[in-house]
Amino acid sequence: MTTHEFFVDMTCEGCSGAVTRVLNKLDVKFDIDLPNKKVFIESDKDANQLLETLKKTGKTVTYIGSK
Amino acid sequence: MALKTAVSSVTVGVDGMTCGSCVQSIEQQVAGLPGVYGLQVSLELKQAMVTFDPSLQSPESLAEAIEDMGFESRLPEFPA
Repeated sequence: MTTHEFFVDMTCEGCSGAVTRVLNKLDVKFDIDLPNKKVFIESDKDANQLLETLKKTGKTVTYIGSK
Repeated sequence: MALKTAVSSVTVGVDGMTCGSCVQSIEQQVAGLPGVYGLQVSLELKQAMVTFDPSLQSPESLAEAIEDMGFESRLPEFPA
């Protein structure tokens, strides 16, 4: 399993809630750090695919890297 | 009503918006869909009023687009 780190421009609980719901559909393990606008996703899926999913929320998303 | 026009409008209920930036991201995303002429998202009323081309979009497809973004959408029981 790889943990991918993303920057997602979330400003409130509604934003992180939207990200949560979108990721729940993907069936992956993830962790959202709202104050730092970071989303950590634990998945074997391709980083680009995860990026596309996060972009569906309409927010600015940047891929930071994997650990 | 026998009169048919190329413009329809629907009010979709949207749950899960809590701030102005949620509203903004919905506006940007939905306004970018093909066949959408205009929309008005209200945070207070928790709804989005969309004007669209019925040959390109339907109330269902608009609701689905909002669902895809991670919000909960409700269609009116009697579509306008």
